[in-house]
Amino acid sequence: MYPQVLFQHRKPDRINTFAEYREQGGYSALSDVIAGADPAAVIATIDDAQLLGRGGAGFPAGRKLMTVAQDAPHPRYLICNADEMEPGTFKDRVLLHADPHLLIEGMAIVAYTVRARHGIIFIRPEYENAARILEREIRLAREAGFLGEKIHDSDFSFEIVVHRSGGRYICGEVTALISALEGCRPNPRKAPPYPTDKGLWQQPTVLNNVETLAYVPLIVRHGAQWFRDLALTESAAGTKLFSISGHVNKPGCYEVPLGVPLSEMIENCCGGMRDGRPFKGCLPGGASTGFLSAEHYHIPMDYESLKAVGNRLGTGAVMVFDDTTCMVAATLNLTNFFARESCGWCTPCREGFPYLKDLLYRLENGMADGDWIGQVETLCGHLYKAYCAFAPGGVAPIESLLANFGEEVQAHIDLGGCPMQRQ
Amino acid sequence: MPTLTIDNRPVTVPDGTKVITAAEQLGIMIPRFCYHPALGSVGACRVCAVGFKEGPIKGVEMSCMVDAQEGMVVATDDPDAVDLRKHVIELLMLHHPHDCPVCDEGGHCLLQDMTISGGHGRRRYAGAKRTHLDQDLGPLVQHEMNRCIQCYRCSRFYQQFCGYRDLGVTGIGTRVYFGRSEPGTLESPFSGNLTDICPTGVYTDKPSRFYGRRWDYERAPSVCIHCSLGCSLTVSARYRKAVRHEARFNAQVNGHFICDRGRYAYAYASQPERPRDALIAGRPATLAQAATQMSERLAAIEKGTGPDGIALMGSARSSLETQALLARLHSEKGWRTPCFSADDAATRVVSSALNTLNATNTIALTEIEGADTVLLVGADPIGEAPMLALALRQAQRDGSRIITVDPRPVTLPCAHDHIAVSGDDLATAVAHLIIGALEPSREIALDADQQDRFKTLKQETRDIPAAAELRAIGHALTTAWRPAFVCGTTVPDPDVPPLMGLLQALVQTSCMWSGLFFPLPGANTFGAHCLGGSDALFEPLLAAVEAGQVKALVVVENDLFSEYPDQQRLAAALESLELLVVMDCVPSAITARADIFLPTQTIYEAGGHYLNNEGRLQVATPVIAGGLSIMDTGGGNHPPREFREDIPGGTPRPAWQYVAGLATGETDPPDVKPLLDEALTAGVADGERVSLPSASREWPSIERIGAGPEGDAGGLTLIESAATFGSEPLAAFSTVLAELTPLFGVTVHSETAQRLGWRAGDRIVIPDSAPALEVVVTLDDRAAPGVLLVPRRIGIDRTALRRYMAHLLAE
Repeated sequence: MYPQVLFQHRKPDRINTFAEYREQGGYSALSDVIAGADPAAVIATIDDAQLLGRGGAGFPAGRKLMTVAQDAPHPRYLICNADEMEPGTFKDRVLLHADPHLLIEGMAIVAYTVRARHGIIFIRPEYENAARILEREIRLAREAGFLGEKIHDSDFSFEIVVHRSGGRYICGEVTALISALEGCRPNPRKAPPYPTDKGLWQQPTVLNNVETLAYVPLIVRHGAQWFRDLALTESAAGTKLFSISGHVNKPGCYEVPLGVPLSEMIENCCGGMRDGRPFKGCLPGGASTGFLSAEHYHIPMDYESLKAVGNRLGTGAVMVFDDTTCMVAATLNLTNFFARESCGWCTPCREGFPYLKDLLYRLENGMADGDWIGQVETLCGHLYKAYCAFAPGGVAPIESLLANFGEEVQAHIDLGGCPMQRQ
Repeated sequence: MPTLTIDNRPVTVPDGTKVITAAEQLGIMIPRFCYHPALGSVGACRVCAVGFKEGPIKGVEMSCMVDAQEGMVVATDDPDAVDLRKHVIELLMLHHPHDCPVCDEGGHCLLQDMTISGGHGRRRYAGAKRTHLDQDLGPLVQHEMNRCIQCYRCSRFYQQFCGYRDLGVTGIGTRVYFGRSEPGTLESPFSGNLTDICPTGVYTDKPSRFYGRRWDYERAPSVCIHCSLGCSLTVSARYRKAVRHEARFNAQVNGHFICDRGRYAYAYASQPERPRDALIAGRPATLAQAATQMSERLAAIEKGTGPDGIALMGSARSSLETQALLARLHSEKGWRTPCFSADDAATRVVSSALNTLNATNTIALTEIEGADTVLLVGADPIGEAPMLALALRQAQRDGSRIITVDPRPVTLPCAHDHIAVSGDDLATAVAHLIIGALEPSREIALDADQQDRFKTLKQETRDIPAAAELRAIGHALTTAWRPAFVCGTTVPDPDVPPLMGLLQALVQTSCMWSGLFFPLPGANTFGAHCLGGSDALFEPLLAAVEAGQVKALVVVENDLFSEYPDQQRLAAALESLELLVVMDCVPSAITARADIFLPTQTIYEAGGHYLNNEGRLQVATPVIAGGLSIMDTGGGNHPPREFREDIPGGTPRPAWQYVAGLATGETDPPDVKPLLDEALTAGVADGERVSLPSASREWPSIERIGAGPEGDAGGLTLIESAATFGSEPLAAFSTVLAELTPLFGVTVHSETAQRLGWRAGDRIVIPDSAPALEVVVTLDDRAAPGVLLVPRRIGIDRTALRRYMAHLLAE
């Protein structure tokens, strides 16, 4: 239906093996690069491909590599963020279970471009199977000479270690992840200095999502133009893994070109809405993006289109809600998550989310009083003054609830409780 | 040096200054909880938000996180910033209990102040408050976690600043918990500072709990006299009782903090056993009777023996006033030169150390924080001068290398290289450092005479096991930019300080800055030295007593028994005196033997001047008038129902008044200031260092380097050295500190233990000791082999201990 790139060799019951991956042309990109490619040229290709970080922030991957100064000190580190904790997101897990060597080769290529000596895959503890798969496949790659000391007799050496996270949402935040790797509390740190300047152990560190790194061998093999052409819209480039869940007939992880309309994704990939009920809204990119409403049903799913409506593509975790859903209850559920997962470092986030949770709980249960909407709006506004990006992400559902489902909120206030439960 | 505008007023500050600090320079106090000048900016509490109107940053930002930059226009009253601050305070109050009326912090609580000034009055949050279980953190600090506003000051102070790990943060979100993994006494000897830095009542002062509000207390600036560093304190007293020491900021000495010994040492001043009445032959007398009798009997003795028949004994814990008047008494009456310590070994080292100091090589405590290499020889900071350890920690956090050369297994709250060298080899060790600094280096030029002397030094320096290592360190010192040299004055022999001075002088020529720092045995040891105390030794005095040349001894604020090792000899000598006059504020073995006893005031009543270890003149202001606490005299009634004209227990006078009475023959106190000026401190302002001789580049004459270790046939030596708790004569009266004082033990290298047949944990009962003494054996291979290390402990039977150890050494 759609061109499959990362999932080209996805199998229903097992990974794409090392032997199969090699037969399919795997590791040729790495071999070519190591044979003497100019690191700057490889970075230029990645940059030219307009590969945006797939972990949620959408930062251009090529530009990030360029920020590692030529004369930056050694050792340098490459970290793969496999701490997939954004609610509703499971694409990295599926990818690791489908084609782990894409990641391993991608890491080796990226490490080559910035002369990183050490690679770390920071993986969430619930992904123990994936961690074991990675450890096994890294060993195979090393035995075949694609990792380790002096790869292919070049002067490039690269090792990958799989590190299991202690398991908290905030560990997925770049600087918190680095703190966690150093054995500290996973409190975010303030940039500058940026990790590419002073990251892990104060050394230059490149940090990318699993999906971002997995695209790299394919971009190097097929070129930037090929990658850009995969997307349907002009501004976007490549495909994207979408984790679609909620009220659809076939939830799952689907690889779709960027720019495919939301409606098409739900209808073509997921077999339409569950029980044929109407689409009420969805989260386009995980719990820290805002709700889209029915009026956005046909929105092209890419970075720019969502930005245009004040939203974000995030991790591409689409949570679909039909008309039986109370959006207040859904928001309460999400806020509960943020209240629990705040690292506790700064006041607005640590105290603000439980406060918002309490306010939402009161709204849902008919206890909202006074200037409920004003109170929530002010509080959300102050959460933008939190220490890191956690809180602004966490208030996105609440703010979009007020913006896109204001009538439903008002109905809760007027009726003194949830209208859904009264029906 | 950017210039920025804050609230319409321009201010120019050094590069890297945070906006919150720049505002302070204008006297604008931006609210803060997590920010602390010593702990730095972390941006956690978000209450220091200000509006940035013009310049490189726009909008509401945290003033603690933004560096002041040229052209910035900052408004602390920006409406958005004010609104954010107000809401942050509301958020912090969501879970804070409304227990201010029963909270000890109430009245000096930063959160209380901010809540009022921030304008948060009405509670809107209707949810439940989260609660925590509190922990028992030991006798010093009271824990009340429900009050926590998560500013992270405590964990940052405790772990990063102090280097201890047993208190920290657990949990995330609203479940963030500050405490230990399980209840228990805090391990850090700086734990009391938690009560100062906590912006609310999570950590409060336990011994003074529920005693009063900040506004109830009589408060006065004072000086800590429980080691030689002279940290600045604020003393709080109520009902005639000093009940709290708080750290007072001093940029040269202690910075923002003090140690637990200094913080909790005040109990001696109000202990029930404190002698408050004059005694003649053990029987109560009025002050006038005792003073008159003292003058008459001294005059009678003087008539019989001449002025030589009367000896004076001062102490290192007395104020300069007292010390100066003792010196004055000597000069006026011709009585023997006052002696200020019964520990002659220490006096000799102190003398050679302080003669090494000059106007250019002397450094202050906080300057050590800026050193890039610190060499400590024969100094154990945690035991001798705890705040020195904290300064070393700051240096090390900044990348400094810390090296300890010591027979003891020196522990510091920071990474350091330790070289175990036996006590007798310390001078040789420094000689090897000097050789290392000069030999392979071309950086230090020597003139012909120095070349000769260096050649001699090299020939005379014998080999010791750590020689190669020491020489490498000596060489590394020549490449340091800011080396500091610390030398103890109790364990090393008198040759070590001048050698350290020589090393410093040599290295000085190849670096930007360097200096010497000598922790001393007592709070006012420097004062005693300046008043000629180093010239008078105790041993000759004791011999003169034994020979019957000295018939009368006046002992001022000194328990000779805790300083002089041979208790029996001392007791016999004192017995042979015709007259023993003792003046003191605490009971001791010697007060009990006095023919005439005069009770003295403590620092809280008398105040006084003190010279710290670098010669800085500091003033303690009197806090209370004296007398027994109303809490003790009222029998539960307030005010007490017994009416009288005088203050009960208010008899004691400052020690210097008694001495002045002897000097002038009058009992009314004379003006002490001219005496002081004459003695020493003329022209020196409070808080400044006394004038020291100018630098000399003279090569010190060292006599003993070539000699082998002395008198240790078995190669065993006993070292008694100061411990954090239990060693300082006044702090030892504190019952809360007594709880923290470890079991009395001996620390030895495992090889030595094997030779002696000791195992770790063995309990050795010291024969014929009274009170019975038991010593626990601890093994530590960082100690020099052959060293038996015991802490100085007030109140133990040192004679029996030394007898037993001597018997071991003999075997």
